[in-house]
Amino acid sequence: MIATMFTEIVVMASDDDGLVWLLAAGPAGAAATYWALYRYYRNNDKSHAFERDTLIEAQPVQSQEEKINHISRTRDSDIDGDNSEQHRKRVERLR
Amino acid sequence: MTIGAQGDAQQPRDPDAPVFDGPPLSLEEELAAARAEPEPGPSIDIINESLADGLNRCPKCGSTDVRLRGSTAMLMCLFCRHQWEEARVEEEFGLGEGIHDLKGTVVATGAEAISADAEDVITLKCGGCGADVIVDTDHALNARCHWCRHTLNINERTPNGAVPDAVLPFKLTHVEAVEKIREFASKRRLFAHPRFKKEFVPENVLGVYLPYLVIDARADAAYVGTGEVQTRRWTEKQGDNSVTYYAADVYRVNRSVDFTVDDLTIEGAAGRAEFDGSETNNIINTILPFDTKNAVKWNSSYLVGFTSEKRDRDVGDMKPVLEDQLLSIGRSQVHASLAQFDRGVRWEQEQVNVAGSRWVSMYLPVWLYSYYQEDTKMLHYIAVNARTGETMGSVPVSQWRLIAAAMTVGTFLEGIAGYILVASA
Repeated sequence: MIATMFTEIVVMASDDDGLVWLLAAGPAGAAATYWALYRYYRNNDKSHAFERDTLIEAQPVQSQEEKINHISRTRDSDIDGDNSEQHRKRVERLR
Repeated sequence: MTIGAQGDAQQPRDPDAPVFDGPPLSLEEELAAARAEPEPGPSIDIINESLADGLNRCPKCGSTDVRLRGSTAMLMCLFCRHQWEEARVEEEFGLGEGIHDLKGTVVATGAEAISADAEDVITLKCGGCGADVIVDTDHALNARCHWCRHTLNINERTPNGAVPDAVLPFKLTHVEAVEKIREFASKRRLFAHPRFKKEFVPENVLGVYLPYLVIDARADAAYVGTGEVQTRRWTEKQGDNSVTYYAADVYRVNRSVDFTVDDLTIEGAAGRAEFDGSETNNIINTILPFDTKNAVKWNSSYLVGFTSEKRDRDVGDMKPVLEDQLLSIGRSQVHASLAQFDRGVRWEQEQVNVAGSRWVSMYLPVWLYSYYQEDTKMLHYIAVNARTGETMGSVPVSQWRLIAAAMTVGTFLEGIAGYILVASA
């Protein structure tokens, strides 16, 4: 993980503002090490994966989509606020 | 004449015409109807009629010295060694059937609403000698008569939520649980709090039956959001740098799915249901699921030698939790249909309709090692699922050791970064 992060920093540095970004590697690596070890000991992010571990029988998904706009030029590589994989993050509830 | 009467009766009714549904109610009656509690739904009567409160004897020799034999998950008479087991509730009460036809809220007798004024302490009259024996149902459902040594059991329904519909017996033995906990902790020694390491005695692990509500449900969920599909990607030169740009089509995305869930398991004790980070309850939640299909009819002899925790949440309190979990399940079900949106999807609105649900209360077996960390006032657990052996825990950390490790790695990386910068200058 740290190696990957380091590689990314090198790539980022060469792409943008020169190699000065490399100086962030130390603090970023330290924070990542602390976070990974703390999580391994305390497991405070773990919970029962009921979405996967429950017996579920689903009918075929009903889909409908309609093109509403076109973005002709953006630097964002993905949509803002992508929550398609955060199944437990609740959004506005329709009653 | 008869034909004419039928003809009149079959004339189509004007849909806009008012429907007469009796004289209007008074304001007081309307208000009373609005404030009234909803009608109780249908229930399933899950009662072990062969057992009663007090003495429950071995069917072969009549001894009351009966307890669970962990290696076989069967009840055993300690006097004559006869072994037997209760029937599985799955087949006995048809709990695995009819999920597709569920309507409304069906509550088993052991999951019914808890009476607010019900006492936890119950006094039993010993059937052997007549002495009064007290059982604190908050922690146990058996007691031994201090005069004649008979074991007394609470088997009949109590209004305080202590007696569930079913119990899943312990399968892992104490020795196996100690081994699991030792293995878990030994992988986390280096940065563990020194005091935790010094005081670590896995043999102190306790067998606890924790209360859960096991739910079958039929639901439909719908989601509305925005998705983007990349149509073009290109790079432009800006001075010395190159910048990547994207073009994309934006879509309004609708998805809906009908599904059933079988044996969704939710904590029945409020003290175990808080997952706000200041507790370590998530540890006990993580060792789910249990093989709840193997749960058997209630018999408190399964609890002899173990402690138990009483259910204190009602079905009504837990409906929002069920809906929340069903929404998450629905989201995971529709996820596979989003592959075309390569720039991602942002869900903005969601809806769930629970067409039917069936609630059964169960005691599920957990080996629990707990450690109270005094400086942070936090109770840490290492929990073992006493059916599957899944183990999860929270080990208190030594902050200065963690910081030292982080600083070492940070310094090493910074050194490499400095070397590269100097070399490229």
